Amino acid sequence: MRLKLATAMGVACLALSAPVSHAAPADGQAIFEGKDCVSCHYTDGPAREKTIEDQLAKTGPELWYAGDKFQEEWLVGWLADPQPIRPMKFGSLTEENPADHPALSGDESATVTEFLMSLVSGEVEAGTVKVKKNAKGRQIFTKKMPCSGCHEYAGRKGGVTGGRSGPSLAEAGVRLNPDWILAYLQKPTLFKPVKMMPVFVGLLSDKDMANVASYVGNFKPKK
Amino acid sequence: MKKITTIAALAGLSFNLLGAPVMASEPQAVYEFYCAQCHGLTGKGDGPNVTKDFPVSPRNFVDAAEMNKLSNADIKNVVLDGGPSAGKSPMMPPWGKTLTEEEVDGLVEYLRVLCACEGKQG
Repeated sequence: MRLKLATAMGVACLALSAPVSHAAPADGQAIFEGKDCVSCHYTDGPAREKTIEDQLAKTGPELWYAGDKFQEEWLVGWLADPQPIRPMKFGSLTEENPADHPALSGDESATVTEFLMSLVSGEVEAGTVKVKKNAKGRQIFTKKMPCSGCHEYAGRKGGVTGGRSGPSLAEAGVRLNPDWILAYLQKPTLFKPVKMMPVFVGLLSDKDMANVASYVGNFKPKK
Repeated sequence: MKKITTIAALAGLSFNLLGAPVMASEPQAVYEFYCAQCHGLTGKGDGPNVTKDFPVSPRNFVDAAEMNKLSNADIKNVVLDGGPSAGKSPMMPPWGKTLTEEEVDGLVEYLRVLCACEGKQG
């Protein structure tokens, strides 16, 4: 009961602190286009990439399923204060992320978030993944099919550990929708048909993919 | 003579990369997109994933002595089925669900260009 009350209070505080947008997605789209975000991000699905060359020609991630992928509260904050998610520059194995993503004002970030969160694939089932400390997921993530080879995550001794070619998964639990993580693993050609990550369909069961999504969804800042 | 062949092969691949996507450049593009994350763009086993925490040393493809211990079939099997299929680390994932047979065959050929070696025969 005490935990429930504390959680409810926490949520209420967060709701008060995050910018609230009453704008329509179209207002956000107008800002998105006016700021030329479209020069790096496309927002209309389905996925366009068919070859490695197509993927490497992009300068930023596709956002046509942003509403599936991201958590709204995180997105509002990130657009106002964008910090690198990928250690390396998008599409590069040699250049560090220049950390030069443009920032939006607080009001703009809330309005653009309205737009981005309206972009969904219709292919992500909500409420499928239960986020928790997941020993099986951890075993797969770090040993069996080591996602850790390409993705950073919080190390046990503090700081981050793991590979640097993929996006960091440190604190991914506040950024990513765990149901989307599962869908991304299950439907490898739907969201990003050409990617540096292996296809795990046929190698991991749906249950194991859900375990990984559950484990990664639990990557949250230490309190 | 082998050196000349290798240089010619590398020059051909680079030349092809300058133009529109062509079949001859594909193995190099496949290598640089997937394998170089760990094995490095020049094949020395020094991709960006190989930090101080990386638990194993990815194979150095320019080490002809080591690469000569492997047949093309050995390499192909590890690419398709991952490191554990050959008693090696799971840090080498199975790419059999990602790459086509043709792409894997092309990769094996490209690795032979990188090591300038022919590998174990038979």
